[in-house]
Amino acid sequence: MKHIVIFCLSALGFLCLALAMQRHQEDLFGKELARKPTLLLRMAGWAALLAALAAAVETMGLSLGLVSYSGHLSAGAAVVALSLVARERLAGRAR
Amino acid sequence: MTQKTTAPKARGIRQTMSDLHIWAGLLAGWLLYAMFLTGTTAYFRDEISQWMRPELPAQHQVPDAGATAQRVVDTLQQEAPSSPQWSFTLPDARNNVVSAFWRIPNIQGRRGFQSAIFDPASGEKLHARDTNGGDFFYRFHFNFYYIPVLWGRWLAGLCAMFMLVAIISGVITHKKIFIDFFTFRWGKGQRSWLDAHNMLSVFGLPFHLMITYSGLVTLMLLYMPWGGDAAFKTPAQRQAALAQMSAFRQPARPTGESAPLASIADIVREGQQHWGPDGVGQVIIANPGDAAARVTLVQNRAERVSISPHTMVFDGVTGKLDSVRDSASAAAETRGVLYGLHLGNFADVVTRWLYFLVSLAGTAMVGTGLVLWTVKRRAKLPDPQRPHFGFRLVERLNITAIGGLSIAMTVFLWANRLLPVDAAHRAAGEIDIFFIAWGASLLHAVLRPAKRAWVEQLWCAAALLALTPVLNALTTSRPLWKSIAQGDWVFAGLELTLLALAAAHAWLAIRTMRHKPKPARKPARRAQPGAEGHAQEQVTA
Repeated sequence: MKHIVIFCLSALGFLCLALAMQRHQEDLFGKELARKPTLLLRMAGWAALLAALAAAVETMGLSLGLVSYSGHLSAGAAVVALSLVARERLAGRAR
Repeated sequence: MTQKTTAPKARGIRQTMSDLHIWAGLLAGWLLYAMFLTGTTAYFRDEISQWMRPELPAQHQVPDAGATAQRVVDTLQQEAPSSPQWSFTLPDARNNVVSAFWRIPNIQGRRGFQSAIFDPASGEKLHARDTNGGDFFYRFHFNFYYIPVLWGRWLAGLCAMFMLVAIISGVITHKKIFIDFFTFRWGKGQRSWLDAHNMLSVFGLPFHLMITYSGLVTLMLLYMPWGGDAAFKTPAQRQAALAQMSAFRQPARPTGESAPLASIADIVREGQQHWGPDGVGQVIIANPGDAAARVTLVQNRAERVSISPHTMVFDGVTGKLDSVRDSASAAAETRGVLYGLHLGNFADVVTRWLYFLVSLAGTAMVGTGLVLWTVKRRAKLPDPQRPHFGFRLVERLNITAIGGLSIAMTVFLWANRLLPVDAAHRAAGEIDIFFIAWGASLLHAVLRPAKRAWVEQLWCAAALLALTPVLNALTTSRPLWKSIAQGDWVFAGLELTLLALAAAHAWLAIRTMRHKPKPARKPARRAQPGAEGHAQEQVTA
């Protein structure tokens, strides 16, 4: 359970951070977002990553929590990146 | 970017770092790939060992520690009555055997030890096929094989230093690390390889740094003994320093007066009261049967991150608790934590899988780096049909290091099932077959055209991996469907993982097969915008 929460928070955080990036905004929305939503997304992304860290340390203690957190960070980033790639491939095929 | 046409200017830090990254990576790359992959499997080394001893039934409940310890001691009293020291680890949730080793009297050094594996249920020597199990991969990843252990460790340390250099110079080289964070451009040849390499590196960066640095720490006393030698002048001081790091002691002199050993079961139970039911990991008995007998309990490593030993020492005759140590000095604790982080023994199932997956990504990072070296240079070859010797060498070694290792490691599992159960030197035979398979893959890579060799070796690895569950079903009474039905996740998990790896190899084989090298482009077009950091490398490397 705790692992599901930490993983989802990390993936969510990275998704927000990706959406705050110009390149991925163009890919996904076809245009660049305004400054304000971009800033909000970036802040939400970092907040989610920090929340994941807090959850990991809270449930598993400092040393184990940090290790587990770094693993979930890698997994979360990988899932976001792979879904972006997959979406792009599928969209390219549909076009 | 126009580096190619402008006059040579002073080389920037990024370019210097790029050269460093390329050459440090290439030189250590083949060994690092093997260290990473075998080390990755070591996170499931106990599970692999269980799979390689199919005679032992799946362990649904950890046997009672006290009773097990007593049974093993009873056997050791028959087996090695005159030994000055016995030591054995107790089974736990991941390990279903007792591994013991003991000193042979009057022989010094490494030869003075004997080891055996015991069945916890009977306390007798194990009646299962002789195998090194998952320990082979674990030992190989820092000792290698066929060379003296010390050389192996120095070699591994050298590679780890190269790795540290490659990681740091790689981060400096790749300045667009954050802009390219989620970027993967599909089907773009070299660009895609570079994106994959970056992604695999960046996502696991905290882990890769940790594993490389902590890997060096595990052997720091070997690599840098001088600090310790300077600080601790007398043998007694050195003993005291070592005692902070290891539970192992030189046994005291026996008195020569014989006295029966106290009940080990009671001693272990006292340890369980102190550390909890799964708390006792190892039992060390010095001078058994002598009036000076001492029993040391060591806490199970799965209980906490640091491996600095927590111990309880008992009088071996009266069974009275003598001393408890539940802390170590700060320096020893730091080393203990880093060491423990590297081993990951403490990790729960999910964290262990994360370790495994990120470590696999690290393996792929080294692998993509190696392939990238050839991809980048192939387009620039004067005649791509007849590359120069250095290029061919790297290409062939890449095939052997990557495709060949997958084959050899799977063949090792096949040898475990196919060698006669009671063959002489069986455990060593499995390892020899591993190296024969690896050597055969080198021969194959040298004899075949490079692309054919890649495809054939990847298909071969995929077939071997996919057929391992079939082989297991034919040679043991524990086929995959039964394991799943009975909830035996050691067997089922391992075989399902092999199937997933088979799929990955097949996918790589198909991609390689379909790959059509683009006609050589004109040099002027090679440096594209958006790839400046690496365009610089192309020009200089």
